Amino acid sequence: MLALPKRSAFAAFSKRPYICSSCLHRARSLPLASGTHPISTPNRSLQTDAQTSPTENSDTTSFRKLLKDAAKKKKKESRESPLLPNQSQTDKDRRLEKWELTVGIEIHAELNTARKLFSRAATSIGEIPNTHVALFDTAFPGSQPQFQKETLIPALRAALALNCDIQEKSSFDRKHYFYQDQPSGYQITQYYEPFAKDGHITLYPHDFPAGVSPEDGPINIGIKQVQMEQDTAKTVHEPPSTHLIDFNRNSHPLIEVITLPQIHNPTIAAACVRKIQTILRTVNAVTAGMEMGGLRADVNVSVRERTAPSTEHGLSYYGVTGLGQRTEIKNLTSIKAVEEAVIAERDRQIELLESGGIVEGETRGWTLGSTTTKRLRGKEGEVDYRYMPDPDIAPVIIGEDVVNHLRDTLPRSSDDCINMLVDGQVYGLTSKDASTLLLLDDGDRLDYYFDVVEILKATFVDNAEVLPRLGKVAGNWVLMELGGLFKNDSWSETRVPSSQLSSIIAYLLRKEITGRTAKLLLARLFEGDITLVDEIIAREDLLRRPLSREEYTNMAQRLIEEKPDMVAAIVEKGQHQKVKWFVGQMMSRGAEGTVEPGPAEEVLRELLQMAPMEQK
Amino acid sequence: MSLLKHAQEHIANQARFTNLNAFVYLGDRALIEATAKAADINPPDETPLAARLSLAGRLIAIKDNICTTEFPTTASSAILKDFKSPYDATVVKQLRDAGAIITGKTNMDEFGMGSHSTHSIFGPVRLSRFPGEIMSAGGSSGGSAAAVASGQCWAALGTDTGGSVRLPAAYTNVVGFKPSYGLLSRWGVIDYANSLDTVGILARDVESVESVFDQLNVYDPQDPTSLPPTKRSQLGFSKKVNTRLTIGIPLDYNITTLDPAVRRAWVQSLHYLQDCGHLLKAVELSTTRHALSAYYILAPAEASSNLAKYDGVRYGKRADGIDGTPSSVLFAKTRGQFLGAEVRRRILLGAFTLSAQAIDNYFIQAQKVRRLVANDFNSVFAEPNPLTADPFDVRGVGVDVLLCPTAPSLTPQLAEAMAQGPLDTYMNDVFTVPASLAGLPAISVPASIAEEDQSPKLRELGIKETAGMQVIGQYGNDGLVLEVARQLLQAVYEKDMYHRSDPSVTAWGTNCADTPGLTKYTKYLKGSKVSYRNIMRLREEKAFPLPKVLKKVKVPGYGILDKYPTSAEKRLRKRYGSKAQELGLTVDEYVAKKAREKRAKVTEEQKVKIAGEKEEKGEDAYEVSEEKSEGQATVDAPHQEK
Repeated sequence: MLALPKRSAFAAFSKRPYICSSCLHRARSLPLASGTHPISTPNRSLQTDAQTSPTENSDTTSFRKLLKDAAKKKKKESRESPLLPNQSQTDKDRRLEKWELTVGIEIHAELNTARKLFSRAATSIGEIPNTHVALFDTAFPGSQPQFQKETLIPALRAALALNCDIQEKSSFDRKHYFYQDQPSGYQITQYYEPFAKDGHITLYPHDFPAGVSPEDGPINIGIKQVQMEQDTAKTVHEPPSTHLIDFNRNSHPLIEVITLPQIHNPTIAAACVRKIQTILRTVNAVTAGMEMGGLRADVNVSVRERTAPSTEHGLSYYGVTGLGQRTEIKNLTSIKAVEEAVIAERDRQIELLESGGIVEGETRGWTLGSTTTKRLRGKEGEVDYRYMPDPDIAPVIIGEDVVNHLRDTLPRSSDDCINMLVDGQVYGLTSKDASTLLLLDDGDRLDYYFDVVEILKATFVDNAEVLPRLGKVAGNWVLMELGGLFKNDSWSETRVPSSQLSSIIAYLLRKEITGRTAKLLLARLFEGDITLVDEIIAREDLLRRPLSREEYTNMAQRLIEEKPDMVAAIVEKGQHQKVKWFVGQMMSRGAEGTVEPGPAEEVLRELLQMAPMEQK
Repeated sequence: MSLLKHAQEHIANQARFTNLNAFVYLGDRALIEATAKAADINPPDETPLAARLSLAGRLIAIKDNICTTEFPTTASSAILKDFKSPYDATVVKQLRDAGAIITGKTNMDEFGMGSHSTHSIFGPVRLSRFPGEIMSAGGSSGGSAAAVASGQCWAALGTDTGGSVRLPAAYTNVVGFKPSYGLLSRWGVIDYANSLDTVGILARDVESVESVFDQLNVYDPQDPTSLPPTKRSQLGFSKKVNTRLTIGIPLDYNITTLDPAVRRAWVQSLHYLQDCGHLLKAVELSTTRHALSAYYILAPAEASSNLAKYDGVRYGKRADGIDGTPSSVLFAKTRGQFLGAEVRRRILLGAFTLSAQAIDNYFIQAQKVRRLVANDFNSVFAEPNPLTADPFDVRGVGVDVLLCPTAPSLTPQLAEAMAQGPLDTYMNDVFTVPASLAGLPAISVPASIAEEDQSPKLRELGIKETAGMQVIGQYGNDGLVLEVARQLLQAVYEKDMYHRSDPSVTAWGTNCADTPGLTKYTKYLKGSKVSYRNIMRLREEKAFPLPKVLKKVKVPGYGILDKYPTSAEKRLRKRYGSKAQELGLTVDEYVAKKAREKRAKVTEEQKVKIAGEKEEKGEDAYEVSEEKSEGQATVDAPHQEK
């Protein structure tokens, strides 16, 4: 997608068997951002626009769907399993009882900074290739790194939100390997002295899809360290064998979050990645979701026999002892991929061990949709990164005052936020709605929701009856009604201003308009009507006018006479649901704001001599 | 003499001395003359002193690893052939801003790796003081040194990583200064070993060096290793320059392989300084004896990292055709083809010492040695090191500067130098490396050698032979180092009445014009007896041998060995190891035994067969050499594997 403009520009070269010197020449002549003349760019909040790039694994927008799917799946499983005991399923369960899975995760996330890590070139996403590149970013002879200390701020926010100890002194090291997207032949990272260590995250039930945590109570997962490093350039493949390199991304600041191998369940692994993603986003530290390459995960997977004594033959990683041989699965770009890859690798290792084999320490890959991981390289093909402290970059000394200031100004954590939203005294949302609200549109939806609730609270300040219901009603409207309208458009808080929506909700709560009217009003505003809600209602006379019982009866009587066949179906065949059709007919026939479903059904049931409605 | 006249002399010399191969790119003659003329017409400074120190209109040569936009910057490497940098190095910009004329780029060892300026795609630099002579100009800034020495420019910039400015200065009879690390900007200087690389200045006299240094000694925000202004303001020397100084004699530099002529020149130089009224004091710098080994671990390690960027993808040359395989990197061929042998050697060395199996024994050890070397220096200097020491640290007695030779030998023949193995070549840096490791300011000044040490032929030709003497000072004491160097040079040249910076005279004194002598330096009182006693400690019989390099390596499955086993040895061990163990023999003994048995068998067969099918294998070759070492007769016969 990002390569499109370039692809057409270089189309002529696509058939060349290798990068010809004219390509190189062309690349050379591209303007370079000079180190001496800083490009001034406003500090952007680089966010993903998931709607414009609907991908299979877009994690943020489909979260609701994900929840639904998970719930459905769960229901289905619980329905099926007692009836049809699946042979392979029980086999698997037996195996999982015998073998314990252990997973450690490394997450790379692009920091939300204006400049690159070691040059004054601006960071960018989707810009014309090779336009945001300083001399150092392309490893020009004689160029030197200039650490941009501002990049520390989002990194520190992230580390603080992950409850890490910020190290007073940290330093940068070179990690050597050859690849065309690595112009200097090494990546600058923090190997010997990372800037943050010993953090943890806590997974609560609300962090799991379907709201069901695989374990009781909150789960603690240790964060070994958080380190800063450079991103690589981007290679664009031009089939059959040309590779074009875009250095815009090169040296974009990344953080790598390394968890301890304390995860024993694929669902927890996925929830852990999602949680870290949420935290990083809540504190405004990272640019984008996984689908844009903003977040990438590597997982280390090992299995061990639960019954085996832990000291025997056990391996130890980061101080966690007694583990089996681990393999690393690299470059997982979605949460779904994390979960599936962990499952596949766990099953592969168990299979291997049960058939008498041994797991080899190797690097494996995973492509979405496949059923097993693929070996990339074994131990013998392992790269010796030859870590060396970078002699050009002085150690970073972080003052306590900076850390304290950032800690004090940290945005509310997602857990606090969810707890507040779920709390019946304050907002009273379901935890599902709360976490959805939090994740949507990088928190913009949540801000909008807060606005709506604030306005409503001011409106109903004296109404003790309505006041406690405000949070839930507003949540419903922001998520469901308005959310439904935004299904195919990207979110914008100005499309239906919060004052207008709260006005609609206020009318509804005062029972001055019907629900149907409210929805129609909202749709109108969504389509671009900027007239004030009060004015529309007054002008078009949309206020709810309760009909008398006679009027309802007359209307119902007329309908019943018109559709004798329907009546017969209801009365004789007992298709009681069809009564709803009559209700609908009555509502559409009556003037706007008059017929309400409750009384209409009541009257209909009476006329048809059916049992009265069940009280909800 | 006017600036234009000087410029013309320099340009004439550039044509005259092309055989030195000092320059690889030369600027436009007309443009240079025009600029010099303009500087003549508009002298920027009024006072004569200021005019003498001004860089305006001066011709300055730049080593080819310092980026310039007007000339290509190749670092004498094939991989950067014709590479033109899109930007000027800060030091080049500073020189231009001061009105200096960049006259061209000078030849060097590829990426600064070498001690004789022979590893260059442009061919070696040849120091030729009379027709037929071909000497080494030293390296790696040999081109810059030779250009200055032969009057092809007024001054030159070089780079000094482990002595690359001081060594050529010593060999070519000029002044070569390596300032404290971090004072001169490295932005635009092609990295060899970042933590050691320093821009250095070469000129004919100390005053010229100083005026260039003053121009360049400015903080550069583009260079992350540039000393920030707050630290710069703390530098300097508390003592006044015109006082009695204590000159240290580092006895550990009196090594057995030191050329007696150089030792005598050293003693003579110490006498000169004593005559200036300074005190001499013998000091010990014991860990500096390990400095060379540490340097040749650290510099290649950093080089292997720095040179990883040369892949021909973004700039520089690229091997023809398809490079790499689908599974490997796409520049193996390019790097193999365009990096020179010495560069490849150091990359491999560096890659090894940084590898997971070796880093603890090599890189980390060498870093510790580096720290010890720095501590050693700090322990002998009167001034504390402003970067590491407690500012309130009160020092006892100590020395202000150290004086030692720059190189253990006089200028060697080029053929001799080229015939040296890499290890012998590295030995040339033994005296320059310690100051580099500690980041200290050091300057090499030419000191005349004793009459009896001079070659009669050269004397006959009026060529002055010198040995480089090195003044080393505490970090940031660059001014003092320059001052002592100036006093020493003045003392040395008191009797040789020619103006050191006259372009009509070479640094070795040929075509000496009758120019007015230098103003005499005011002498102090005679030195003390202690000083004499200290000088006496520099006798040859007191010399130290350099520590033997102990090659002990820990090899998995082998234990501690003297050297890493070759692949042939590994194969042998794999094949015969267990059998040998059964018999209680070493693998070597077992192989020898097998060979004897085989030989006996072969001699039997030989009677029947004709020895004609020579098809030696690795094991066979090993066996043969084994037999040779045992002093037995070798049987050059083929034998079949069972």
